[in-house]
Amino acid sequence: MAEAALAADVAHPPKTPPLAGRRYALEIRQHMAWRWQALILAAALLVGFAISAAILVAAGVPADELANEFVMQTFFDGQNFRAVLFQAAPMILVGLAGSIAFRARFWNLGLEGQMIWGAIGATTVSMWQIGPENLRLPLMFAAAIGCGLLWVLGPSWLKLKLGVNEIISTLMLNYMAANFLLHLVYGSWKDPKDNFPYSPQFRAFERLPELGAGVGSSILLAGVVALLAWWLVSVSRVGLYLRFVDANPRVAHANGVPVRRTIYGAVLLSGAMAGLAGFAVVAGQEGRLTQAFYQGYGFSGILIAFLARNNPLAATVVALLVAALFVTGRSLQVFYQVPFSMVQLIQAVIVVCVASSDFFIRHRLRRVGGEAAA
Amino acid sequence: MPNALELTGIRKSFDGFAALTEAHVSARWGEVHALLGENGAGKSSLMNIAAGLYAPEAGQLLVDDNAVRFAGPRDAAKHRIGMVHQHFKLVRPFTVAQNILLTAPPPAEFQSHGERLREIERDIRNKASELGFDIDPSKRIDALSIAEQQRVEILKVLLAGARILILDEPTAVLTDQEASRLLQTVQGLARAGAAVVLVTHKMADVKTYANRVTVMRGGRTVATLRPDEASVADLVKLTVGESIATQGFQASATSRGPVRLSVRGLRTPASPEGRRVLDGVDLELHAGEIYGLAGVGGNGQGELAGAIMGLPGEATEGEIRLEGHGDLKTMAASARRGIGIAAIPADRYGLALAGGLSVAENYAIGRVHTGRYGPVWRLRRGRIQSDTQEAVRAFDVQGVRSVAQKAALLSGGNAQKLVLAREFGKSPTLVLAHSPSRGLDVRASAEVHARLRAARDSGAAVLLISEDLDEVLQLADRVGVMTRGRIAGEFAQPADRQAIGQAMVDHG
Repeated sequence: MAEAALAADVAHPPKTPPLAGRRYALEIRQHMAWRWQALILAAALLVGFAISAAILVAAGVPADELANEFVMQTFFDGQNFRAVLFQAAPMILVGLAGSIAFRARFWNLGLEGQMIWGAIGATTVSMWQIGPENLRLPLMFAAAIGCGLLWVLGPSWLKLKLGVNEIISTLMLNYMAANFLLHLVYGSWKDPKDNFPYSPQFRAFERLPELGAGVGSSILLAGVVALLAWWLVSVSRVGLYLRFVDANPRVAHANGVPVRRTIYGAVLLSGAMAGLAGFAVVAGQEGRLTQAFYQGYGFSGILIAFLARNNPLAATVVALLVAALFVTGRSLQVFYQVPFSMVQLIQAVIVVCVASSDFFIRHRLRRVGGEAAA
Repeated sequence: MPNALELTGIRKSFDGFAALTEAHVSARWGEVHALLGENGAGKSSLMNIAAGLYAPEAGQLLVDDNAVRFAGPRDAAKHRIGMVHQHFKLVRPFTVAQNILLTAPPPAEFQSHGERLREIERDIRNKASELGFDIDPSKRIDALSIAEQQRVEILKVLLAGARILILDEPTAVLTDQEASRLLQTVQGLARAGAAVVLVTHKMADVKTYANRVTVMRGGRTVATLRPDEASVADLVKLTVGESIATQGFQASATSRGPVRLSVRGLRTPASPEGRRVLDGVDLELHAGEIYGLAGVGGNGQGELAGAIMGLPGEATEGEIRLEGHGDLKTMAASARRGIGIAAIPADRYGLALAGGLSVAENYAIGRVHTGRYGPVWRLRRGRIQSDTQEAVRAFDVQGVRSVAQKAALLSGGNAQKLVLAREFGKSPTLVLAHSPSRGLDVRASAEVHARLRAARDSGAAVLLISEDLDEVLQLADRVGVMTRGRIAGEFAQPADRQAIGQAMVDHG
């Protein structure tokens, strides 16, 4: 067809190309107004929701109940909304942990391991009754931060000093942390009261207090951390350093950015935040160290950071939505016998849609040789 | 001679900024056609359209007088058009042969990868000896100098079957001898029947080697003429719209001060073959002087600059002493920037600017450590913005519609001006300038040179590393020649050009 068009062009050089010769070329777009980016993102989310809705309907949820279950029941029913906030606090924290590390080009896949150690640190303070009662909770908080941070110190040192791939090292350390956790809860930390594999119940003053109206203070903690993270990346000088490290570490280094310190700082902060997520679960939700409290958070943290483009405020919003999905998923399980893994399927569908939308932000289709398109 | 390639009425804009408004150019079979213009005149954009990288918004493209439309470089290659870009498009960890294999036409019959690679290596050797290039096909790209990489690019397009050859600023990185050799080679290709488009801003190259020249200014083509019928002054006038006096060597107004930088016995570890990239560099640089380091690219200049800047690289023996600060070897790059070392690296987007970040961020990163833009916990965005706007105006950085736009959207010359604005914004004590006017037009080069002289006159020590001997002779108070990782000779000004040229190619 192209050759035919060529032949026609030679015979009668046309002012405007013939229709048959029109083709579409893919161009890389340097820049797109943020309004358009938001619109494309919204369209991608809409497509993701539509596919998810179709899957749920196919799984037996009545179509007319979907909006009710997902929107009305989740956000406008007081009890469910409290459940969303309850669920969201650790999600926000792991999402932030992911965002900060990814901004320094450090693929911290060890969020779960750091979370486990944060929880173990907090529980240690409770078990050994370290410090006076009114200082117990702050000490647990500090222990969680410290333990999460230490668990990621090894991989970051290995990466910066010896060039060891952090994806492997952080991921493998998750298994070590998880098995050590099992060793504790099946071993010396087993609850002596009922011999179940979890630590003894925390005392009342060792648990995050309620703010009133059934809302826990862990969501407040997560909100404060989110604001601090936003301040760090958007307001402080460190944010500028991080953007340079992310954009091009060589350029950053040549221009006097303390690249290693910036990466260390971001990664240790990431570990600390993940540790804090562990604290939020044991002291805010479970009230004790359990054997599987961390499961799924690592994946969710990466997903939240990705969907939020590593922006702390966006991560907070995304984490709330993912939490809402979890809560709704549980009620769907109860009322319609939809398996809980459906929640993960929906998460994945939405991630794939948003990831694909990036293509339209970075490229544009342009008609080749048509009348001046601009 | 019939037209090989013709572009008429080409228009192209980027995000609303018109890069080309009315461009017409044609190259005939058997000629070297020069495309002359300042930075940002639209030469590269126009040729990127011819090479199929950009689609024009209006206008026509003709190959052998047939209208064509390209959806990509592959289409252009089918019409035997090949382009050597100013910033090379080579896969650095791959060997020469592997790079060329990527674009080579597929073989007629099945071959195993090994057979194919050996065949390509044979083709490369044949073509290289035909052109007088000395290239080892099994070497990795990152082990080659910039001049060698350029030869690989030329071999690549020729072995892909190109007969219409577009060269974007090919001599910008070469020494005199290399440049004239390259241009003679190119001329030979044209004599053998190929069509060559030579994108350049060097009048001398146009005068000596081009059969015809098309001059561009501000996105349009302003004239096509025969260079032997026009004087250099005419051509300069057409390109810049006004004439700029070319400056000869100007000695420093003030006498030189004490030794500011002293490099002693600087060497990198030996490779298994016993070769050292830096092999005992000794040099002394005084305050208030420009020391010009001439030499063929790839003789250790980049590594020397990197060692002084404190970039991560191979550990070096020897010492680098800065007046008042002792040996810099243990000092981090950030600390070195803090004590007044300004750097204009050769690799603009690899070391100087982060293309994906904004003009303002790229400007601010130079001074943010001083606390001018607020304490660690808060950036003063307003001040960054106003400082950047002021610097953009003062250094005449064109094409900045907003300081929030990405630095990658600037043309080569304007990107360099942004680097200068940042580096000279804080009065430096030591300026490290590596090929600072590479790819820049007459006007922009003159501005760069004036800035370097001004830095010297205000007491800074300037180390100018350049492969352009004209530039070195124009600027330097003393000239050193670097070959094989050491300083092979030093010359006081006025220096004998022939003697320097000889020292550059001597491998004694």
